[in-house]
Amino acid sequence: MSSKAASPIMRSAAWRISLWATLAFAIGTMLVFGMLNQYVADDIQQRSDAWLSGEVEVLGDVAERTPKDRLYERVVGEVAELASREVPNHQRSSGTENDAVFFLQAADSGPAKLWVGSGDGAASLAVIRSARVLPDIPFDARIQGFAIPFRVVSVRIADGSNIYLGLSERDELHVLRNLHARFLALWLASVLLGFIIVFFATRRMLGRVRKITEAASRIGQSDLSTRVPDTTGNDEVGHLARTLNHMLDRIENTVHQLHTITDSLAHDLRSPLTAIRGKLETALSSGVKAEDAEPIASAIDELDRLTEFLNTSLDVAEAKADALRLSRTGVDLDELVRSMIDLYEPCMSDKGLGVQIRSAGSVRVLADPALLHRVIANLLDNELKHLPASSLVCVSLRADKRMATLTVEDNGPGFDAEVSRHLFERRVKGRESRGHGLGLAFVEAVVRVHGGSVAAANRPDGGAQLTVTLPCSETEGQEERHALALVNG
Amino acid sequence: MRLLLVEDELEIQGFVKRSLTDAGYEVHTAEDAHTAALLASKQVYHGMIVDLGLPDQDGIDLILKLRKDGVSSPVLILSARRSVDDRVKGLELGGDDYLTKPFAVAELLARMRNLLRRNATHAEDSTRLRVRDLELDMLRRRATRGDEVLNLSPQEFVLLEYLCRHAGRVVTRSMLLAEVWGMRIQPDTNVVDVHIYRLRGKIDTEGREPLIKTLRGIGYVLKGS
Repeated sequence: MSSKAASPIMRSAAWRISLWATLAFAIGTMLVFGMLNQYVADDIQQRSDAWLSGEVEVLGDVAERTPKDRLYERVVGEVAELASREVPNHQRSSGTENDAVFFLQAADSGPAKLWVGSGDGAASLAVIRSARVLPDIPFDARIQGFAIPFRVVSVRIADGSNIYLGLSERDELHVLRNLHARFLALWLASVLLGFIIVFFATRRMLGRVRKITEAASRIGQSDLSTRVPDTTGNDEVGHLARTLNHMLDRIENTVHQLHTITDSLAHDLRSPLTAIRGKLETALSSGVKAEDAEPIASAIDELDRLTEFLNTSLDVAEAKADALRLSRTGVDLDELVRSMIDLYEPCMSDKGLGVQIRSAGSVRVLADPALLHRVIANLLDNELKHLPASSLVCVSLRADKRMATLTVEDNGPGFDAEVSRHLFERRVKGRESRGHGLGLAFVEAVVRVHGGSVAAANRPDGGAQLTVTLPCSETEGQEERHALALVNG
Repeated sequence: MRLLLVEDELEIQGFVKRSLTDAGYEVHTAEDAHTAALLASKQVYHGMIVDLGLPDQDGIDLILKLRKDGVSSPVLILSARRSVDDRVKGLELGGDDYLTKPFAVAELLARMRNLLRRNATHAEDSTRLRVRDLELDMLRRRATRGDEVLNLSPQEFVLLEYLCRHAGRVVTRSMLLAEVWGMRIQPDTNVVDVHIYRLRGKIDTEGREPLIKTLRGIGYVLKGS
């Protein structure tokens, strides 16, 4: 269940928007930090360079003024040692030896005259000599045996030797590393928080859109009088809802107008038809002679056919305009088809037609049962009227998860080539047909209004085949559950 | 029994009134809702037939008003409209019935009879039906004519049962389709006739008096006792 619920969320627009927004946020904060980091690093360097320059100046002074006697090394060494203790924010090294600072006095060539620091200073001297050094300008020196480079500044004193003061960049790196770690933690937390906030905010916003979509699709299927909720907001979603409602107003008006026209047409025609039928029937039942009864009876038949034609053509007109009024309930197609076959079977076998049903059991659709009855009656009437004797009609019903398929096929002559292209148009009928030519147009219109489709073809081994597909009611239930899963997350 | 017929189309009113009178009812007529309400307030009617398209008021509003005033007699609604109003559906649930125009007089009579019977609430013997020498055992689903057991399919039994319950009265094809098969369709082939022919072949065998009579253009009738 969780994996099924996760994938729609990942496919949702809220997820994508949050991802992009978070990415932009993450990159932006990273850039800001990069600049901040650079500034802090530069500042630390400047401070340590200033300290180094000051100290090396002092040490140069001391070295110049101290007499070059036995005590020289002691005095200068002591001063250098003291100076090294003044390093700001000094991180004490683990050992007793001070490896954060070194002091070196050396001539341009030859061994070091004086070394204060950890180790013997030969490695430092070699590195410093190999680097091109300008006096008073600090430079970085990577010295063997130390993981962290030293910042070195030099001064030339009167006796021609150079004094070098090196400060390990350990402190600077330590500060920066601390900064990095804290930033990373903070960055991750804020990116995550940002993602969550953006995701839920967009999902709430898009949830309103989804509500509108759901309401709109419900309206499209059933009634036109309902309106999309959530029209109060002054944002894009509110505008969308209001625009949709305006559009629905117009559609409802148009449909209402169509209904008014068809209703008044029906009403105006039905009243005189009722009067005529009533008079004919009264005449027939008032004991007329047999030879007079026949034309009256056939007039009544014609009248009924005319009424049926009127009803059907108005239904087709409405269905073509997607305005057919449906009262849908759950219908078992299998049961419905079987009861229709029960009704038609005697008539068919009288005509020498065989009927077969192939169905694997209950197939539930959400449909208007009265209209479905008429659809199937139309299909079977068609077979009855057009098939020669001793043909076989096969009605098969099958369903997958989404669609129910009803196929009516026969081994008769099939559809005329000229007719089959316009099969589902109004008033198209075969040359010998006595019907009003509305049958298949009605079938197609009604099935389409139910969200299905009709296809007609001649079978390769002869005979006609009509296939009606209708959406199963189970899938609609599943879609609803799906939508609910989305809403609940 | 006294009936009130509310219909503004005089031609329709005329033949409906004549048929109802022929069937033995006393019929009062009204052309508009106002007159109908007045008549209904003066005397009690056992049943009413109301057209929905009245000149001064919608038929539904008239019925609802009468119901509010305490008139409880059953109503047969006549409608020339294509769609069935939700309020009509509501009335249907309340025990009233409706018929779309154009209708067969036989169907109107049958429905009216049904409504009146429903109102009278007298129970029929539901286990055994007898019409002349035809007998239907409802529990064992077995039909006999005289001494002979009729070999009927379940479908044919239901059809015969319906004809027997309406013995002596006309039933139309659309009544049979609606009541026996439960569908409101108008097939343009003779599917119902074939069922009747088959049933007749089993009941009205050689040498017996034919019971099922065809009335062309109208329907069928099973001769009553």
